[in-house]
Amino acid sequence: MAPIRLLELLILLAALAGFAGLLLRRNLFLKVLAMDVVGSAVVALFVLLAARSGLRSPILQRSGELLAQDYADPVPQAVILTAIVIGLSIQALLLVVITQLARIDPSLDTASFEPVERP
Amino acid sequence: MSTGWMPPPAWLPLWLLAPYGAAFLTMLLPSLSAPLLLLCCASTAGIGAAVLINNTNLTMLLLGSQGVSLSLEPLAGWFLLLNGLVCLAVWLEARHRPWDRMGWMLLLVLLGALNTSFLTTDLISLYVSLEVVGISAFLLILKGDSANAHWIALRYLLIGNTAMAFYLIGAGLVYAQAGSFQFQALAALPSGAPLVFVLLGLLVKAGVFLNGLWLPRTHAEAPAEVSALLSGVVVGGGALPLLRLEQLSPEIARLLLPIGLASGLLGVIYALAVSDAKRLLAWSTLGQMGLVLLSPAAGGAMALGHGLAKAGLFLTARHWPTRELSRWRDQALDWKLQLPIWLGSLSIAGLPPLLGYAAKTRLELSLAPAPAAGLLLLSAGSVAIYSRLCWAPWRRDGAAEWPLGPWLLTLALLIGGLGFSLSTGGWLKALVVLPAGVLLDQLLQRWRQRGMAALPQLDRLPDLLGGLGLVGAGLLLAINAGGEW
Repeated sequence: MAPIRLLELLILLAALAGFAGLLLRRNLFLKVLAMDVVGSAVVALFVLLAARSGLRSPILQRSGELLAQDYADPVPQAVILTAIVIGLSIQALLLVVITQLARIDPSLDTASFEPVERP
Repeated sequence: MSTGWMPPPAWLPLWLLAPYGAAFLTMLLPSLSAPLLLLCCASTAGIGAAVLINNTNLTMLLLGSQGVSLSLEPLAGWFLLLNGLVCLAVWLEARHRPWDRMGWMLLLVLLGALNTSFLTTDLISLYVSLEVVGISAFLLILKGDSANAHWIALRYLLIGNTAMAFYLIGAGLVYAQAGSFQFQALAALPSGAPLVFVLLGLLVKAGVFLNGLWLPRTHAEAPAEVSALLSGVVVGGGALPLLRLEQLSPEIARLLLPIGLASGLLGVIYALAVSDAKRLLAWSTLGQMGLVLLSPAAGGAMALGHGLAKAGLFLTARHWPTRELSRWRDQALDWKLQLPIWLGSLSIAGLPPLLGYAAKTRLELSLAPAPAAGLLLLSAGSVAIYSRLCWAPWRRDGAAEWPLGPWLLTLALLIGGLGFSLSTGGWLKALVVLPAGVLLDQLLQRWRQRGMAALPQLDRLPDLLGGLGLVGAGLLLAINAGGEW
């Protein structure tokens, strides 16, 4: 397997691990952190896709004419910048709400916020 | 890039950006909020109506070949009209409530972001606008300002953002394989993991089937005006891109058909069992959004019919004497409230000559016989659901104030319905389904009174996340089995 494919696989595994954390953790704060793990995996995926094939830092040894594929693809990088900002702001909003919820249950167990009524 | 693209006319970017500018101005000069909101809502509804009437078909590209692609066609027109009318109605109602400049700002941002999400046809612009929609809806839910509102809002944002993270993975994989973020690129790829990830995200935003399990509690607990926005238009932000994808690829349409029907069934079952009127409306939204996805040819009309009626019903919720359906028959309601409730209910139940009936007839015509038969059964279920809302006695003294918002939406339902229904036949079928539904409601009433309506509780946080995983796995399996469920 090419090393770059292996990296891609690892990143998808990280996203999966984040989702598992979201499902299995009972603490609300850890759930939000797990969501951030998924988000970080997405960012890593886009950076990897933009790098096309290289694994080392993109400093060219060769002089002379440069081809388009010598550069990292700028489009996914530009796109993911927006996603990083959105992810950060959502994370901040969630944490603010969590501080409010901590007044009800300081241990932040999700079960204590769920109502007990019928559907 | 393909040759079909043109630069947009100058008014289009101006109109798309206007709500954001207006939101900024509203924060600075709150006294301007009313004219600015009116202007933005009216222009949105007007453009939607004009697109529908003229059958406009514009595809445009902003800022060059990797820029934002926009498409203004009748399918988007339905949703734009809905957006403008619902925001206007919400403004008419919220004027008399203690909404501050923050509320108006959020309403304007929501309107603008929804407009963008209805027009854009590339995955990334859609992602950005849906996230803006999600954040402003989250802040609007927080206006409820109780501990419960905090929990509901947090759940909403958490689920929405997780779904959108999956959506981004899908978008990244599409770019890796096709070198483009356009919807066409996704539809042209052989179905696989990228498609599943994108669909997962959009299904959550549209509130369909197990991905939409967050919807009933969120829509029921939010303040009445916010519920109207959420159930009326916000779910459309996820539904319209799904309809666009269905239009581009019949394979995607085949994949989503069973999900839509299953969502319709799930919504009907739970709406028939619940005892709270707002939750009944919310569960029915989950069902109706499934029906919207059944066919791209009728989806726009279905979304408009449902959104207008449902937003009107939610807007009356503040004036209800009680939310408890078992006591609904004891409390009289003023006719000024009863009339919008009845007409909204009858429209979703599919009674001619209202808009809901015209949309449902359109949908039936565009479906194969088997799903159309399923739709007929679900219609009887909808009648049973909404007849539960129509048992309150009428009061004729007219002491209540005029609920302007619901009346505006009801008028739109009537006018649109008269325009379309007169040209469609098949009134007889609707008149047979109606008594069948009422009968079903009466049968279930006894069953409910004996306390046998205990369905499993499906909307705790682990259920929502589990539903997401299940639908994702199901979609992947279905694709690997050859596109058939």
